[in-house]
Amino acid sequence: MLFSRRLMLGLAMAGALAVPALAGEGPTEIDLFFPVPVDGKLARDMGTLIKEFNNGHPDIKATAVYTGSYDDTLIKTRAAIKAGKPPSAVIMSANFLLDMQIENELTNLDSLIAADDTTKEKFLGQFFPALQGNAVINRSVYGVPFHNSTPLLYINADKAKEAGLDPNKPPQTWAELTDWAKKLTKRDGDKVTQWGIAIPCAYDYCGWMMETLTMTNGGRYYNEEFGGEVYYDTPSMLGALTWWSDLVSKHKVHPPGATPGPAVSTSFISGNAAMMMLSTGSLTYVRENAKFNYKVAFIPRNVRNAVPIGGASLIIPAGLEADKQKAAWTLIKWMTSPEKSAWWSRATGYFAPNMAAYKTPDMIEFLNKNPDAKTAVEQLDVAKPWFATYKTVPVRKTLEDEVMLVLNGKKQPKEALVAAQKAADELLKPYNAETSLKLP
Amino acid sequence: MKLIGRLYRHAPLATRNEITPKLGFALTVLLALAWLIPFLWMGVATLRPASDGINLMAELVPSLKPTLDNIRDAWEIGDFPRYFLNTTIICTGILLVQFVTITLAGFAFARLDFAGKTPIFYLFLMQLMLVPVLLIVPNLRLVAQLGLYDTLAGVMMPFFASAFGTFLMRQAFEAIPTELEDAALIDGASLFQRIRHIYVPLSIPSFSAFAIISVTSHWNDFLWPLMVINSPDKRPLTVGLSVFTRTAEGTQAWGTIAAGTLMVIAPLLITFLIFQKRFISSFVTSGIK
Repeated sequence: MLFSRRLMLGLAMAGALAVPALAGEGPTEIDLFFPVPVDGKLARDMGTLIKEFNNGHPDIKATAVYTGSYDDTLIKTRAAIKAGKPPSAVIMSANFLLDMQIENELTNLDSLIAADDTTKEKFLGQFFPALQGNAVINRSVYGVPFHNSTPLLYINADKAKEAGLDPNKPPQTWAELTDWAKKLTKRDGDKVTQWGIAIPCAYDYCGWMMETLTMTNGGRYYNEEFGGEVYYDTPSMLGALTWWSDLVSKHKVHPPGATPGPAVSTSFISGNAAMMMLSTGSLTYVRENAKFNYKVAFIPRNVRNAVPIGGASLIIPAGLEADKQKAAWTLIKWMTSPEKSAWWSRATGYFAPNMAAYKTPDMIEFLNKNPDAKTAVEQLDVAKPWFATYKTVPVRKTLEDEVMLVLNGKKQPKEALVAAQKAADELLKPYNAETSLKLP
Repeated sequence: MKLIGRLYRHAPLATRNEITPKLGFALTVLLALAWLIPFLWMGVATLRPASDGINLMAELVPSLKPTLDNIRDAWEIGDFPRYFLNTTIICTGILLVQFVTITLAGFAFARLDFAGKTPIFYLFLMQLMLVPVLLIVPNLRLVAQLGLYDTLAGVMMPFFASAFGTFLMRQAFEAIPTELEDAALIDGASLFQRIRHIYVPLSIPSFSAFAIISVTSHWNDFLWPLMVINSPDKRPLTVGLSVFTRTAEGTQAWGTIAAGTLMVIAPLLITFLIFQKRFISSFVTSGIK
């Protein structure tokens, strides 16, 4: 009797000890938040990718969680962190990193890199230099570039030839682009049957295109070193917005109003617009759907050639348990490896941030077959970091709202930019007050 | 014109030979067509093969070689039966609890006397003016503390009480003559018996009007379920559908989107077509137009 009681006690104690032990032995479960940046089939591709990772790493069980647009992904990640349920890794729009770092929502990756017996320089050295501006904050690594883009000029080569233009010598300056757009616009009385050029303007895209135009006009959009300043009310920006609005209202070669990205690509594919400025992220879509010859070219300049980086980086939110952090780091390294990032690049049209991706045999073969995929990589020499400030999204929206009014013909560029600057300054005030100076 | 003439022959006898009703009828038909076009386009685009190219995508004329490829694609990308089930669970779960809470709260505001009744009621109404997005973080934190993060119950919980429903039921209950309740009181009916046998049966039109509004709004809700749900197998329809409609960098597969959208709205559409008459009459009698 005594024996059996002791046995029971022992069994119970063993059981109590065994439960946590068993829980510890299972695979580490991690969530990866991902937005769908291109089209729905990629959600399936992402599933395939994660399944492959799980098969190769039995000690980790990753789940891909779809989280909407880039902006929705930021909202969901922030809400999850505040609710005490941070995801283990997120594919986050590259320009949101600064704001998240300011709010202490990111894990500093330096120690994880050091634990791999490598240096920051070596680790970052894998990626194109142009991408590092959005990944490194105050000399610490906070993000790993995953899929990135630059804007491109897409040209319908058949229509260009028809109009007597040489598609092999694409327009290099704004003046030439205006000229091309005029020649490529077809009118039937007052009605336009074919637009010369279309540039998207919807939330997120609009700010990116304004940054592109401002940069090629010699200016800058924001302070790259400090998150509290944007330069909306400046001559370079005014020139850029005036040129864009002239295409619409003066030359009438650009469809009026703020057009979202999908409408622009659809109208290019259908031959309704002869040229468009759009992300290289749309390249695979254009390649698969265009029933005509097309050309991809650098974004034309007014003063200098320059483009902002776009796309997304992988991040690890702050406040995770050590084992999840480690598992997420394994996943991130695997996803950004040359083979995987090359595969993802071919599926989407984004360029692969890992330079070694372009040395893989599959990628070399792919580029030989599709030379248009090279343009974005070549353009990286003149690429600059993507707009990032304190409260990136609201600060960006102040400008986008005003640009939309201009394109709709409801406001003049100058008054729009003054209004945008004022609204943005108001949003940036708390950060400036806290960091650089005490504002009156 | 011939079509309008033919339709018109079925119009009520009394209005047949007047000019203005004729004009009104023609306008109604026009308006109906304007409403119908997006649905038509969705149907046409769903059946259009990708080989037609994007040029024909905006055409309303159906393709000569219709295909089910888009539907199959959409079906493969999303686990639609599961999404349907989840959305149905969410909508019915919310509605059932709401029925209880709005009946009791509506009754309290309509018929009971308690201290601070009017200010409390106005506080309730003020809720209607809050944008739901404002409450995402506090709600999510609460849901996580209750251990309901990533569960369907977590999606439902914030909507169990409804300010709008309470207001609607209060109005409905106030319109019921107190004599009926008095008669039941004389027969010895308890409070809950009175609610159950007098107030609820007499307010059925208000209940169904509320049910329609509640179900459609939660059927269409995107942001809140996106916040709460992580597991792919717990996604509702809206989140599942947006996997292939939300894009950031400018491309879209229209055929698949049309097919997906069709699958999402079909159940609501069919329900509406079947119960059309009852839905409309419930709005008329409950005073919402």
